[in-house]
Formats: sequence, C-alpha cells, structure tokens
Amino acid sequence: MEGYVITIGITILIYMLMAGGLALQYGFTGLSNFGLVGFVAIGAYTSSILAIKGVPIPLSLIAATGLATLCAYPIGIIALRLGGNYLAIVTLGFSEAVRMTLQTEEWLTRGMHGLTKIPRLFSGWVEPSRIDLCILLLLLAINIIAFLAFRKLVKSPFGRAIEAIRDNETAARALGKDTAQFKTRSLMLGAACAGLAGGLQAHYLTFISPEQYVPLVTFYVWIALVLGGADTMKGVIVGTCILVGFLEGSRFIGDFVGGISEVKLASVRIWMIGMALICVVLYRPQGLFGRSIVRN
Amino acid sequence: MVHFRKLSRRDFGLSSLALASGAALPLAAGAQALQPFRIGSLNSMTGVGGPYGPYMLEAARIAVDEVNALGGAAGRQLVMFSEDDQTRTDAGLLATKKMIEINKVEAIISVWSSAVCLAIMPTTDESNVIMMNTCGSPDIPKENHKGLSWIYFASNAVFARAYAEIARRRGFKRPAVMAFNNSTFVGQAHNFRDAWEQGGGKLSSLVIYEPNQSSYRTELNSVLATKPDVIVLGSYRPDASILLKEWYQSGYDCKFIMPGWTANEGLIKALGKEVLEGVLSVHHVPKEKHPAFQHLASEFRRKTGKEADMYASQAYDMVITLALAVEAAGPSATTLDVNRKIREVTTPPGQKVTSFAEGRDALRAGKKIDYDGASSDVNFGERGDAIPDFGVFEIVNGNLELRETILGSSISQKI
Repeated sequence: MEGYVITIGITILIYMLMAGGLALQYGFTGLSNFGLVGFVAIGAYTSSILAIKGVPIPLSLIAATGLATLCAYPIGIIALRLGGNYLAIVTLGFSEAVRMTLQTEEWLTRGMHGLTKIPRLFSGWVEPSRIDLCILLLLLAINIIAFLAFRKLVKSPFGRAIEAIRDNETAARALGKDTAQFKTRSLMLGAACAGLAGGLQAHYLTFISPEQYVPLVTFYVWIALVLGGADTMKGVIVGTCILVGFLEGSRFIGDFVGGISEVKLASVRIWMIGMALICVVLYRPQGLFGRSIVRN
Repeated sequence: MVHFRKLSRRDFGLSSLALASGAALPLAAGAQALQPFRIGSLNSMTGVGGPYGPYMLEAARIAVDEVNALGGAAGRQLVMFSEDDQTRTDAGLLATKKMIEINKVEAIISVWSSAVCLAIMPTTDESNVIMMNTCGSPDIPKENHKGLSWIYFASNAVFARAYAEIARRRGFKRPAVMAFNNSTFVGQAHNFRDAWEQGGGKLSSLVIYEPNQSSYRTELNSVLATKPDVIVLGSYRPDASILLKEWYQSGYDCKFIMPGWTANEGLIKALGKEVLEGVLSVHHVPKEKHPAFQHLASEFRRKTGKEADMYASQAYDMVITLALAVEAAGPSATTLDVNRKIREVTTPPGQKVTSFAEGRDALRAGKKIDYDGASSDVNFGERGDAIPDFGVFEIVNGNLELRETILGSSISQKI
C-alpha cells in the first residue's frame, strides 16, 4: 500500500512541476504552449545520456534543465511574432520535431529502442526499499522551492509585467515594457521546469523511449490547468491532484460497482476525465481555483 | 421514493453484531483454506495496444476459470485482477504498483508493450514478482537479471529470420520492408535486412513510417517505386488497414508477408477477401494442429464470438504455465518457488501435456512434464525467452490456410 501511495505521490509531483511551468507560460503570460512535452523529452534525454556516461545525477539534472531552457529561446523569438492559436501550433510542431529527432538519431538516443540502465536517483546511497520514498521527498522539496519561487516571481515587477502582457499586450508595450523579452523569459522559465521534471522522471523510471513523449502528456498537463485554474498556484496544485486522483482513483471503480467489464472500465476512466473537463469549462471556466474575472 | 427509517439503538446493536459475525465467518474459514494464487493481468486496453488487450484478458480469464473449475492448482484457487496500462510507461508502473501493493499479486501477466515492460521490470524484480510478457525488445532478456521475466514472444531477430526464410523459400528476389515506428517493428525491419543481406540478397527499400496517419500514400509510393516483388509489412491492424487499401487502389501487383496478429480474420472482415488474397500471415504455432489451441479457439469463440489471436493464446498459456508451476511447487510454495518451477514444467525432458488437467495428473503421478501450449511449445531459453515455431498461413478466398511450419529452433541456431 505504502509503495503505491508513494508512486501516486511521485506521479503527482512530476506532473505538478510541469504544470507549474505551463502555468507561468499560459496562466500568467498568456502564451499557449502545446509543446511542453518537447522540453520534458529534452530534459529526460539530456540527463539520462549524461548519467549513463558517468556524469553525477545532480550535474546531469542541472544540464537537462539548462538545455531545456536554452531550447525555449528560439521558440521565444518566434513567440514575438505569433500569438494565441498560431503559437500553439508552432509549439506542437516543435515537440513533434523533438520526438522525431529522438527517434532518428539512433547513435545518440538508441532510437525507438529507448535508453535502458538509466541510473536511479539515490541508488547506492540508500537501501533499495527506501529509494522511492527519498525520490518523493526530493520531488516535494523541489516543488516547494519551485512554487515559492513562482509566487515570489508573480508578485515581483516581472510578474506584474507578464500579467499585463497577458491581459493587454498593446497596453503593456505602450507603457514602455519590452514584451518580447518578458515573453521569452517566461517561456524559458517554464521550459526549465519541464526539463527538470523530465530528468527526474527518467531517473525514477530508469527507462525512456521517444514514444513516451507524445502530445498526450502535454494535454494531461493542460487538463490539470483547466481543472484547477491556470492563473493561481493553488489551482495548479489542486488541478494536478484532481487529474492524477481521477486517473488512479477510477481504477477502484470496478471493486465497488458491479457490472462494468474491464474493457468498459478502461474507457470509463477516460470518459470521467472528459466529463469533469466539460463540467468545469461549462460551470467554472476559470477553473476550480482560478480567478473569477473572465478575461477577454 | 426511498424512505429511511430512524435506526433505534437496539437495531443498531443487532445490525452491528450481524455484520461483525458475517465478516468474521470468511476469516475463520480462510484460516483453514489455502491462500489463493493472485495474478495481475496488466493489459493495454487503451492506446496503441488497445486492439489486443481485451482479447488477452478474455483468454487469461478462460484459463483461470478452467483451473479453478478443476479445484485450483495444488488446491490453491487462482484469483485474477486486471488493470489498463494505457500503453504508457507511467500508467503501467502505477497499475503494477497498485496490483502488487493493494491486490498482493504474485505474478503479472500479459504485458504487451516493450516500453511498459522495461519500465516495470525494476519494480517486479524488487518485489520478487513473476512477470510474463509478449514483448519483442532485445533489451528485455538482457535486463532479466533475477530470472523472473518470461517472454512468450519470439525476439525480433528470430521473427525477422523467419520472414527472410519464408521469402527465400518462395523465390522472392526484391523484398521491401515497411515498418511501424516502434522498438519491435524497427528491430524486425533491421534484422530482416541483415538476414537477407547475409544470404547475398539486397532489399529494394526499407521504410519506417510514423503511425496514426490518415494516409500512408507517400511512404507506400516510395516503396512501390523501387518495384519490390514482396513487401514485409510490420504493422498493427489500424495502420495495416489503411496501407493495404491504398496499395490495392494503386493496382501494383506484389505479395505481402505480415505478422499473424495483424493479418487475421479481423483484417479480412475489415478489408474484404479480394484485398488480402495471397497475403502470407506468419505467427507462432505449435508443431502441428494442437489440442491446446483448438480448445482455446473454441472456448474463445463460444464466449466472445470472435477468433483468438496470437496474443490471446499467449495470455492463455501464461496462466496455464503459472498454474502448472504452482501445482509442481506445492500448496505452501512461495512466489520464488513457483518461479523456479516454470522452466521445469514447460521445457523438456518430460511427458508432453497440452492442458492443465493433463499436467496436474502427470505431476501428481510423480512424472516430469513439458507443457506444449496454445501459442507455441513454450520452451524457454536461458534468458527466459521462448523460441516458438512459426506457421505460414496464406489467405485464400478469405480463409487462412496453413502452408508450412518453420521451426524456431532451426532459425535461432543461425543467430
């Protein structure tokens, strides 16, 4: 039981870190990033390849975060000219391009065979049965630090500037703000979180392959944001917990409700998420903990 | 309308007593009975593996019911839990943890995706849980450090050599390969190229295609432009349906060699017999028309109205293998004891058996057994990988007709 709860906790915290990054980009800056999983993949592969080559895991994770951040810079340059749906399409294309690269560059990534033997976090430092708990605590600490930093950031002049860009970019520009620079920085910060989350996930799973980094992962993070509310940190945290809670909690439906076959249950679980999403969009479009003012 | 009566203190006391007695009875009885052997079926119900997971689950359930109807294995009833891995690693890991920690399973069966398999292996190994899969990744035998992983699927290399042998025997000179972009099919494609070139031949083309497209015309045209006489098509049913339809519309004349889990009755029904006439469908088979498969096929048809595919027969064999291993290990055996018996009950020497009932009777008579299953003769190599035989079926007038059997052992010797 304990191990299962720890695994759920780890999954929630990994998704929460990704959601925090996306919230900064979309919830606070208004940038529709549909390519989040591309940065997760960059982080995962960078950290894994370096760690397999013998680089210590903490350094590998730093490099993963750094490379994901740098890769967001060109997207930021594009974001200067694009907004809304156009940026969403470009970022979606970016994540697919990353996945294709991982599939084709076999000399580096082993292509579709994936990377095995990725060193596990805390392996050799603590006894095997305690590793998952240590990973959970590490992720908790990282999330606390990240969310405290986000809170400080959104209350700082930088935060007020990105919120102004989100609400009315023309007005922000008229007030002398370099909106391009703010948007790029917001994208890079969000990408850093995604890259770090990817690296941590890889060192937890110990196996990665390109087929893990499909757009569905990005959409799960989006669902978490829509459910909880994208423009508050509380919303991000609650949204992620609800998403993973729904997905995992619904595994037990079959134990309590008779007459549902396993085949139907698999579909019911996805259906439940869809219905929750529709209800939230209909009755609370800003999300459960989003700010009540609906922006134009 | 439902009316709720106010519960008096006496009613409450009596109800509590009744509930407590009811709960205690099974516990008391359970103390006398043997512990059931708990199996977790980790199926790909949704995602890429969605077309196969439900079949595997149904076949495993047929096997569990059969064993339980005979009084269980070594007196232990089999209890099966199932979870959907969504053909995703993180969801697969969560489902595995749930089944190990909450349902207390001793074996996880029916793992379909190589990526999921490799992601859950550290967990099953750490928990000393048996894991049975149908994955083709060459990394899985390499990672099988504790010997708890059992692979019911021929490795990519063996499958690809079987394809090459089939193409050679039929006199094809210019084969092309089209493969779905995943570890299994890409591995098969590259191994086929190596096997074909080792025999002095040359491929006309090799194309790896991205799945989930509405049309594969570009990839197909690039292959057809090289004038192949046969196309080795590594596909699943959804993409194969589109590809074959577009090939048929092109009017180009060539043959296809395809895996049996794709080129089956379902595909014939979907595309019609004209499109698939002459397609060669290759899948694991026992050496001859096997009673285990015939039995599963009829039971499967009776229960679902559908035909059992190769993965379904592998899932069936997984449960029967486990049941025979439990029977051989005895009623108080641990999971590791059961694991040690798996090779013993499936691999020669021993009396050939084709069902749980036969195997149980032989074991109780003190004989050694060698289970030959519905999917293959289930003989495991050193690293837990089965080397099955391959049946070559030709689709003639909408029916699959067995043309020949290629021995897996003869192919594996060449690798």
